[in-house]
Amino acid sequence: MKKLGIAIAAFSALSIGITACGSSSETTDTTVAAAPETATYTVDGAWARVSPMEATMGAVYLNVTSTLDDALVGASVSTDIAAMTQVHETLMNADGTMGMQEIASVPMTANTPLALAPGGYHVMLLDLIAPLEIGATVSVTLTFASGGTTTFDAIVSEEAP
Amino acid sequence: MKKPLHVIAAIFTLSALAIGCGSDQATLQGITRESPLTVGSASLPEEFGNGTQPSDFTFSAQEGELLVVFFGYTMCPDICPTSLSDFRSALRRLGDRADKVDLAFVTVDPERDTADKLIPFLSTYATRFHAVRTTDFSLLKSVQDKFLVRSSVTTDENGYVQVTHTGTAFVVDSNGVVVVELPFGIGADGMENDFRVLFNNIENGEQ
Repeated sequence: MKKLGIAIAAFSALSIGITACGSSSETTDTTVAAAPETATYTVDGAWARVSPMEATMGAVYLNVTSTLDDALVGASVSTDIAAMTQVHETLMNADGTMGMQEIASVPMTANTPLALAPGGYHVMLLDLIAPLEIGATVSVTLTFASGGTTTFDAIVSEEAP
Repeated sequence: MKKPLHVIAAIFTLSALAIGCGSDQATLQGITRESPLTVGSASLPEEFGNGTQPSDFTFSAQEGELLVVFFGYTMCPDICPTSLSDFRSALRRLGDRADKVDLAFVTVDPERDTADKLIPFLSTYATRFHAVRTTDFSLLKSVQDKFLVRSSVTTDENGYVQVTHTGTAFVVDSNGVVVVELPFGIGADGMENDFRVLFNNIENGEQ
């Protein structure tokens, strides 16, 4: 019961946070496209979950930081690895179930790491050509709203490094 | 997560005072209910593969053991592998007690999760498991209702199958009572803690 109370309090706090963000972002819409600087990106802790036998889906997790206010808008891997790559978000539905949806754009604040972690955002690999084996690496390219891209290797492992 | 024994003893005493009962449940990190769910009367077919006929699996643990019940699907890339790999990590840390933890995985996507998909999938996470599957959705729903679990399988406009399901895992005792519910994200540490607390209770005859 106590835990439930804390969870509800946390949810309310989150909702307030989200509402506040939503209202302030409206005022900055017109200036985003004009940014003259070029963003640089850093990626750390990138890993892909080893795929169980018979699994045809995979997920890549990482932290990415941009030097500008930016947004993650896409991800790709070689078609030798997976037929399709998408950025997904795991969500809690109103009925308490969890599901995933493809997400077009994940906002990023300059110099603040964006975490793609289990239960939240992930790069989803659809229709894996072959299972992901422990110790292998997957080269992943991320695309950003600013027009920049970054490519990194995600190591295949059982758990986060 | 790991606390010295005397600290744990102190917490036990405090919780007993605060709640006004002798229960150890305050040290569980998962969710407990004042009226725990009772699932021992529920059963669903268990798949064995290799052309073996399925037989009924009943949702209760063997005497002195724990049964962990997950609802999920094999093509799940995020929630199910995260929970199951946390489960595997927790068991690896439990030592001999790990042999007393049984796993039942109920597929919420039975049309795609045939025995030849379920069994290899589960064998990557556990040595002891039950691949539970029915294509009778009303039967599946009647069992999910006992766990207060929901799920859906729909196909979107692009032909992609979308699956949603409750992310909670359920720890069931030999009386068919859900002794703790492990919400998604509790992690290997939380699971390990709760298994230890529950085995301590069993070994002290408090179950």
